[in-house]
Amino acid sequence: MHEMGIACSVLEAVHEELKRYPGQRASKVGLRIGEFAGVDPESLRFCFEVIVRSSQPTPLVLEIAFAEDSRRGDELEFAYIEFEDVGGEALA
Amino acid sequence: MNRVAVEKSVLSENNRIAAELREALRATGALALNFISSPGSGKTALLEKTLELLPRPTSAVVLTGDIQTDNDAQRLRRYGYPVQQITTGGACHLDAAMVEDHLRGWPEQDFEFLLIENVGNLVCPTTYDLGEDAKVVVLSVTEGEDKPLKYPGIFRKAELMILNKMDLLPYVPFRLDLARENARRIHPEIEIIETSCTTGAGLRQWMSWLADRARKKVPAAPLAEAATSQP
Repeated sequence: MHEMGIACSVLEAVHEELKRYPGQRASKVGLRIGEFAGVDPESLRFCFEVIVRSSQPTPLVLEIAFAEDSRRGDELEFAYIEFEDVGGEALA
Repeated sequence: MNRVAVEKSVLSENNRIAAELREALRATGALALNFISSPGSGKTALLEKTLELLPRPTSAVVLTGDIQTDNDAQRLRRYGYPVQQITTGGACHLDAAMVEDHLRGWPEQDFEFLLIENVGNLVCPTTYDLGEDAKVVVLSVTEGEDKPLKYPGIFRKAELMILNKMDLLPYVPFRLDLARENARRIHPEIEIIETSCTTGAGLRQWMSWLADRARKKVPAAPLAEAATSQP
């Protein structure tokens, strides 16, 4: 139900992270979700695709993994980002 | 193509605001509780009884969240404490920014209790830290005793489970022992109090819990005092 808000937070976090890497375009973002995070991965994927399509010209793939360590059950972690070098024309 | 590890919370902005709220509350020693339940479990009734039973003078403020209407705030204002309704306009949970916005500019900044009634929902509010000291989950006996298994997140994070509407127990097929067992399967240390806001049963125990929890939280020592108390 709140996955759209989470998807927006993910995209904001990506844009924030990109400020540290001028000249790079994000192509993939990896999330790690704990068992008790209260997030439905399919719904989050759908929401993320919708906001990426409507807000930027280039695709951005969302890859979701589940936290294997049960002590990190509450986790909703922005795990990694993958870049393509666009020679100073970063678009996110 | 290259990959860079980020490893930070997706909700880092919410968590930053929540940490600021928590620090501000730590400085004053105010106890903040975040009440979470399904719609209709009796959060508002429990808060009404809480405000009615708080020993005077106690300074308490209440934030109550709903998608629409200020009905709950109207109910709660009858007890003479400051109450603000947070109308989310569609959002299924409160977040730290909403709490910060509603606390900012409020004349009452020096309070002992901040009671936050979240939007009725057992899933989404669980994800958002509001800067509270503890989450309290309310489960009523008119619901299924398997709620802790179906919605483990909130039962895992809550410090206390209130089993509410106990006066209705004779009329519903709710197995109290199973509800307690299910909650403890998810969270072995969870505290459990049985209440009825209609008959008043269990409310004394609830108010004692509240007072004990507030005593456990002492105001942060000023930095100078803390420094001189170092051995």
